Amino acid sequence: MPSHVPHSSGLQRLIAQLAPLLIVCAVVFALPVLLNNDFLLNKVARYLVLGILTVSLGMSWGFGGILNLGQAMSFGLGSYAMAMALKLKTVPVHTGASGLPDFMVWNNVQHLPWFWEPFRSLSFAIAAGLIVPALVAAALGWFMFRGRVTGVYVSIITLATMVVINLVIIDQQSYTGGFNGITDLAQLEIFGVAFDAYGRATYYLVAGCVLLSLLVAFAFTRTKAGLIVQAIRDHESRVRYFGYDVALYQIFVFALSAAIAGLAGMLYTVVMEFASPTFLGVQLSLSVVVWCAVGGRQSLVGAFLGAVLVAGMQGALSESAAFLETWTLVMGALFVLVVLFLPKGLAGLAQVVLRWIVQRRHAAGRGVAQGVGQTEGST
Amino acid sequence: MDQFIEQIVTGLSIGSILLLVALGLSIIYGSMGIINLAHGEFVMLGAYAAWVFHTYLGLGLLASLVPIFLVVAAFGWVIERYVLSLLNNRPLDTILATWGVGIMLQQAVRLMVGSELRYVQLPPALSDSMSVFGIPVSSYRVFLFVVSIALFGATWLLMNRTTVGMKLRAIIQDRSVAASFGINAKRVYALTFAYGAGLAGLAGALVSPLKSVSPDMGTGYVVDAFMVVVLGGVQSLAGTVASAFILGELSGGIAFLQNDTVAKAIVLLAIVVLIRFRPEGLFTARVRA
Repeated sequence: MPSHVPHSSGLQRLIAQLAPLLIVCAVVFALPVLLNNDFLLNKVARYLVLGILTVSLGMSWGFGGILNLGQAMSFGLGSYAMAMALKLKTVPVHTGASGLPDFMVWNNVQHLPWFWEPFRSLSFAIAAGLIVPALVAAALGWFMFRGRVTGVYVSIITLATMVVINLVIIDQQSYTGGFNGITDLAQLEIFGVAFDAYGRATYYLVAGCVLLSLLVAFAFTRTKAGLIVQAIRDHESRVRYFGYDVALYQIFVFALSAAIAGLAGMLYTVVMEFASPTFLGVQLSLSVVVWCAVGGRQSLVGAFLGAVLVAGMQGALSESAAFLETWTLVMGALFVLVVLFLPKGLAGLAQVVLRWIVQRRHAAGRGVAQGVGQTEGST
Repeated sequence: MDQFIEQIVTGLSIGSILLLVALGLSIIYGSMGIINLAHGEFVMLGAYAAWVFHTYLGLGLLASLVPIFLVVAAFGWVIERYVLSLLNNRPLDTILATWGVGIMLQQAVRLMVGSELRYVQLPPALSDSMSVFGIPVSSYRVFLFVVSIALFGATWLLMNRTTVGMKLRAIIQDRSVAASFGINAKRVYALTFAYGAGLAGLAGALVSPLKSVSPDMGTGYVVDAFMVVVLGGVQSLAGTVASAFILGELSGGIAFLQNDTVAKAIVLLAIVVLIRFRPEGLFTARVRA
């Protein structure tokens, strides 16, 4: 038993850092064994997907310092990509000559629009669900970060962009289903496995993606690029003086985060069985920011848990409308308090408590004679 | 030709509403560096205040403007004093805090007066229309135009010709030096935020007869107002005015040719492209580090 704070090797530290992530994922994978209720499992899958979305925001906000208030834009784009492919797989009741989606028939569209055509291929749709959000983010990032726009400006522009895309989707009813979104979808089928929204397969698909995106995000934060991104967050001009292309790294983390959000969006369509303009609404986008802040913006696992717990709690309370309204009020107050007094969220709080426990144990090991006051100094 | 003039007048009308809403936002952002996401909720509070004064006290809209300004400004003062002043060196976090405050205000209003749409009556004296360049225009819209210009003038005077304004400008330049000259920065910030909030409240009250009043009415306004501030650049009141009317004319014009949504999308696209080349906004000569 070491009597000092151990100077752990790189590998030990890696394991210590990975441990919370792996524990959380193990719980996620084990849940279906304990929870023998397909309806509940579907709900949990939904919260897990929102967790992935929140992790993607944590990447750009917590690690890159880019507060993207329009994170749901990437989410929505991914969700629509999946919905478009699944819509074309349905055998609709009211269709035109070439199997047009029903809402197009209602809007007197004669031919499938050109941008819908490639979505007949599922692999194209899945690729698009990742690449389109990343490209949109990269383009937006190019304009913003090359123009050296930072901080609050970025937040407003991302928010405004999302609002406008949302309006365009609602406006172009004949091509996007408008306000109603795209409903009555076929089931996702990959390699002969059908993903029923209420089936185990879907749950494990989501759980696998949780593990994947947490690992990708974790790995990124430990690469050189990830470290530079964090350095930019802490002191942008100093990194620039070192000769790094600051904008390039910012664009990269912005686009990567958008791609993960796109993945979450695609999964959301599978779990919810529709796509709707609310998926890229202000409400959702700002909720993601709350979850991330409450969970801990600089901790990937914290952000994930923040989303699952807060969204889950909200879901559980939403049975009664009156309760839900009070809940929103409480939520707002909680959020303000977290921002004011817990800038690192619950993950930061957990860290403080953990450190305190470790210090207490060391102090006890050393014996009372050395005095309690000295424990303050060790880090 | 008539149609052209009509478009110009419509654009001016849209622009004056944009200016009303953006003015408070611009002051707060320009002087304190705070993006006030609760701004839309201040607008909403102003609109509800107009409704309350009219329904329960029988006050007309024009008579209740001053009390509305004071009530919403008081809200702003409290929020600055007890929330934002705790976030001195964390500008990104002020976005979050103001947003949280916004949710609470919106939800509190929803719980207290319900989410039904409310309507505020046009002032009877301004309910007819008048002729501008041979085009019939609602008198109320002309009134809004005049009020927005007047409020801009008052704000400009306040910033540039009064002691409070001078202190504020000193703090913007260098807070610690200003403080060492005996300027109470906390008090000036609180007053500035209260003034910006009061302006938002006035904007809400003034637009309430044109649109219905609901708890979530603020969201739509606030995004448009942000675009005005981004285009106009910070620390430039004149820039805010110019960009409000440019955006008003643009939206009016494109909306005439296409529709509202397309207009918004094109305007946003233009702003994003512009930011690449003039990140400091259209009308700012230089930026201080």
